[in-house]
Amino acid sequence: MTEAPASYATIGGAPARLPPLGSTGFLARLHKRYFATPLMSIVTIVLAAITVWALAGLFRWAIWDAVWYAPEGAACRDAAGACWAVIAEKYRVMLFGAFPYQEQWRGGAIIALWLVWGVLTATNLFAVSLRLIGWLIVFIATIALLQGGIFGMPHVGTDLWGGLPLTFLIFGGTVAGGLPLAILLALGRRSQLPAIRFLSVATIECVRGIPLLVVLFFAALILPLFLPDQLNVDKLVRAEIGMIIFFAAYAAEVVRGGLQALPDGQEEAAKALGLSYWQRMRKIVLPQALAISIPALFNDIIRAFKNTTFFSILGLFDVLGATKAALQDPNWVRYGLEGYLFVFLLYFLICSGMSLYGRSLEQANARRGRKVER
Amino acid sequence: MTAQKDFVVSMQAVNKWFGKHHVLRDVSLGLAAGERIVLCGPSGSGKSTLIRCINGLEGFQEGTLTVCGATLDGTQERLAEVRSHTGMVFQNFNLFPHLSVMDNLTLGAIYARGEPEDAATERAKGLLERVQLTSQTWKYPGQLSGGQRQRVAIARALMLEPEVMLFDEPTSALDPEMVHEVLGVMEELAQSGQSMIVVTHEMGFARRVSDLVVFMDQGEIVEAAPPETFFSAPATDRARGFLGQISHAT
Repeated sequence: MTEAPASYATIGGAPARLPPLGSTGFLARLHKRYFATPLMSIVTIVLAAITVWALAGLFRWAIWDAVWYAPEGAACRDAAGACWAVIAEKYRVMLFGAFPYQEQWRGGAIIALWLVWGVLTATNLFAVSLRLIGWLIVFIATIALLQGGIFGMPHVGTDLWGGLPLTFLIFGGTVAGGLPLAILLALGRRSQLPAIRFLSVATIECVRGIPLLVVLFFAALILPLFLPDQLNVDKLVRAEIGMIIFFAAYAAEVVRGGLQALPDGQEEAAKALGLSYWQRMRKIVLPQALAISIPALFNDIIRAFKNTTFFSILGLFDVLGATKAALQDPNWVRYGLEGYLFVFLLYFLICSGMSLYGRSLEQANARRGRKVER
Repeated sequence: MTAQKDFVVSMQAVNKWFGKHHVLRDVSLGLAAGERIVLCGPSGSGKSTLIRCINGLEGFQEGTLTVCGATLDGTQERLAEVRSHTGMVFQNFNLFPHLSVMDNLTLGAIYARGEPEDAATERAKGLLERVQLTSQTWKYPGQLSGGQRQRVAIARALMLEPEVMLFDEPTSALDPEMVHEVLGVMEELAQSGQSMIVVTHEMGFARRVSDLVVFMDQGEIVEAAPPETFFSAPATDRARGFLGQISHAT
């Protein structure tokens, strides 16, 4: 017989019950998050005071003292607040750039198309293939509406394209051309054929080592000097190719990260089933690698949208370039801040919209329990 | 010796190196149609490498491997032929987490074999019934227990209607209470006359199911005997030592 141990455990327990009052609920959360310690309380109060003060100032400037209507800008000169009249006066130049005035409905139609299909895409109402076909149609319609020359619409040269439609066109082309190229580069980087691997690595590393501005200058201004005249395509197309390659080089590294995150077993299992290389990539490897890459890919996609502003340096008037041009008017030149705030708001809404959509894709992936097994 | 075509798998003097490390040393073995080989041995003995060579997941530098009359010769055609005769079950299941159980099963049939989707779906339903997972058909692997995942993996391999099934430590990643359900499926498979090569530490399973137990150590086959002989009277010290350690561990 051994001695009874000093350690003990009590058998049995209480029936399941709710947690004690005051430990859950809104007030408890408020206390825990904002007023748990004296220091936290002070930080909360100070930050709240600064926020209220800043919001009050913004409200006074942007709304209370603001001027909403001012022909020729006269009423704005004595006002203490914002002069939103500049936007009412100049919005068409901002949104459509130098596009012929009578034809600007075409630009409006393009903006409407993009916004409507963008929102419909984000609602996940349609199958992925349908969404992509929709985007292809939107893209073709954008070019047709900008260019004209069909259905009785007068032809408009690319030098007059501008504003938000041009921004959308550059952005759409960058992602549509850049993502497939990025996938090919990422796969090429892992290829067993040294030639393909070298070509991919060289492209990625070269482009990543150069600022976008240099890529664009090279594509738009320097390349034509070397190419024979027959090969000379439009400046817009050359700059777009530069954008696509720049986007692809960065996105390729993101996709490669996704590829590396996949356990080797996935490809081995696909091999054991007898699937060929492209079948393995299309059905097993890429769907999972891209799902892993979505957060970082949306980073690159949003950056591609913002990078469209670089086109104004090449004399192509995207939204920012068009706004800059619109604010040259001596009557309104003092109200640049309001004009740029308008552009800021446009970019902010579109970019955060994409960001939210990216996040929802990420969460949908996680919810379906399609997490990679280890 | 029988003619080569009676063997679903035959390996002659296979040698393999990882860098300078000699991991398979003159390995020769043949699996006759309808028979089962259990491969055992300490970790690092080369048994997993060996089984992965049989369907071309690993290459080897010397020797010949023939599966159902197809001899690996470095061409993609031969490799594809060998893989069409073999089904593989992995230690870590390696199910495709982004596909439903049904799609996991039908993918290989539809894309690698070019089978019509309806026919593949019908066969998949039959196999899921056989491994008792009909209720999980439309779930994703992440929603299944380890034992269920491995049974799906077995059904997926069987979709290829393979002449030989290869199992690479199929129960080693499972919680103890799930080992039984997977071994049950494998035993049922063995009774149906399926040719199998199984790498496992489950000696009870080896005793019940195998026709030949092959003991490997340090890349070479040390002992090969029917289970009765191997377990009651192992011929070598190494096998005796291994069996002693295994029985202590479990």
